[in-house]
Amino acid sequence: MTTVLDKPVPSLAAAGKPIDPNRTRATPYVFIAPAMSGIGLFVLLPALLSFIGSFFAIPLATGANWKWVGFDNYTSVFSDPTAHRAIENTLLYCVITIIPSLVLGLLLALLAESLRHGRTLVRTALFLPMTANLVAMAVVFKWIFALQGGFANQALAWIGVAPINWLNDTRYSLISVALVGVWRGVSLTMLLFLAGLTTIPGAIHEAAAAEGIRGWAKLRTLILPMMKPTIVFATVLSILTSIQAFDQINVMTQGGPQESSETILTFTWKVGFSYFQLGKPSALSFVLIAVLICIGLVRRRAFSAEQR
Amino acid sequence: MTTSPIPARLIKWLLVLIAVGVSLFPFYWMLRTALAPQSQQLADGLGFWPAHLDFGNFARAWNKANRGQALLNGLIITGAILLLQLITCVPAAYVFAKIRFKGSGILFGVVLACLLIPTQATMVPTFIGINLFGLGDTRIGLVLPFYSSAFGIFLLRQQMLSIPDALLDAAKTDGLGPWRTLLRVVVPMSMPSIAAFAIFSVFTHWNDYLWPLLVARSPDLATPPLRLAVFQQADIGFDYSALAAGAAIVTAPILILFLFAQRRFVQGMAGGEIAG
Repeated sequence: MTTVLDKPVPSLAAAGKPIDPNRTRATPYVFIAPAMSGIGLFVLLPALLSFIGSFFAIPLATGANWKWVGFDNYTSVFSDPTAHRAIENTLLYCVITIIPSLVLGLLLALLAESLRHGRTLVRTALFLPMTANLVAMAVVFKWIFALQGGFANQALAWIGVAPINWLNDTRYSLISVALVGVWRGVSLTMLLFLAGLTTIPGAIHEAAAAEGIRGWAKLRTLILPMMKPTIVFATVLSILTSIQAFDQINVMTQGGPQESSETILTFTWKVGFSYFQLGKPSALSFVLIAVLICIGLVRRRAFSAEQR
Repeated sequence: MTTSPIPARLIKWLLVLIAVGVSLFPFYWMLRTALAPQSQQLADGLGFWPAHLDFGNFARAWNKANRGQALLNGLIITGAILLLQLITCVPAAYVFAKIRFKGSGILFGVVLACLLIPTQATMVPTFIGINLFGLGDTRIGLVLPFYSSAFGIFLLRQQMLSIPDALLDAAKTDGLGPWRTLLRVVVPMSMPSIAAFAIFSVFTHWNDYLWPLLVARSPDLATPPLRLAVFQQADIGFDYSALAAGAAIVTAPILILFLFAQRRFVQGMAGGEIAG
């Protein structure tokens, strides 16, 4: 090998002298085996087991055997008001975090990109929420949203609005935890959009300027279509982050008051690990996945219809 | 661009300032609370500035919650996960980007599917499995489920797609085998996305709360966020200053890392797009 390296003889290599054809053919599989085994064992297999488990009663505490219950877990999910709340809240949380994250993220990216001075500093400041430890920030937000002496209510007082019981009022608890989600989400989407904006070649901007296309028209006819891959990526990441929101909810409200901020993940956590029932949370997860797939299909149809 | 009128620029800067303010405020509030004397917290905790600076809160937070141990745990676990993910994901990404083989389409489909499966669906069986093998409440149990990453394979592959085939052919004619091609050609050319993924992985696992909450039952194993959450719920009474100081201690390492690595991170994420 080393002699070949020292003195490359193209004709020899071009003649195709693979040391061992079987080994070369196996190479791709050797390369992917460690990574694929990891996601197979810890993502695919658990998801599959979870799906199977959703048809059983699994009393974890007593260690008794699994019992086939058919669709009982699913029917109990649909008849359980708390599970209902959890599904509703999760979807609502997704809507009120994903849309603002994407819209504000795009606006801020465009804004930060257009600055002539202090661009780096502004960017850095806007990126920071993404790096923050959500548990630590949730602790801080808990004080900011405190009924008495919290900064949020103090700020409301300055403009003459009565204090709001952000975390302990069933009407506001989900919004409060969602605000934290947006605070963090915007920072991630902005970063992705900024990265996407830098991939647009300068020539495009020059051409647009020469044609006199600017402002809203430029955004709609040039920038957005060119950024479509980034937008798709940012949307997917936002959806994934939002349906898996847990940290700040568990620290700030623990799903309360009266399940008003209970999401599927906090509910799964409670039922699964406090009451040690495993069939029902699994069923709930798959109801969520089914809902997401439906939304995905509808959206895709809407998307392709729009393009035609 | 130079012709934009003054009011437009003023509005632009006003919006920027508001955004920066909202973005930074919680960090400021954390530091303010951490540096204010404990006595000031509830009585007149409304002041925007602390009455005077008190660094004793950091000492209390450090001692009360055995923070040193938690930081060490966080470092070990985050580091181990990062190392394993790089070892597993880089070769896999290279193969998916550049080598055609039987079943590559289906296998990459599996990667994409795994990317979209939420934690809810995998958490419970993974937990049972880890306990079944006696790995509950161990460092291995905290690391093992994350030794590979669908997101890592995906992100790295996207950038490796842009490596010119001619370069890989040249490596082949020079007699480089697949391993050496990977290490000498592909890895150096993919540094931006490798760096971005590394930072992403460190963020995710340093900040992870859910999995340690399940697995790390003994206090000695607690990671920084877990320790903080426990500290928040339990024995501290109303020592907000110490709690804020604890929050600052958990946040600082990642923040500093990000400030140093920011440029590479942003560059590398630019490759993270779903083609088409």
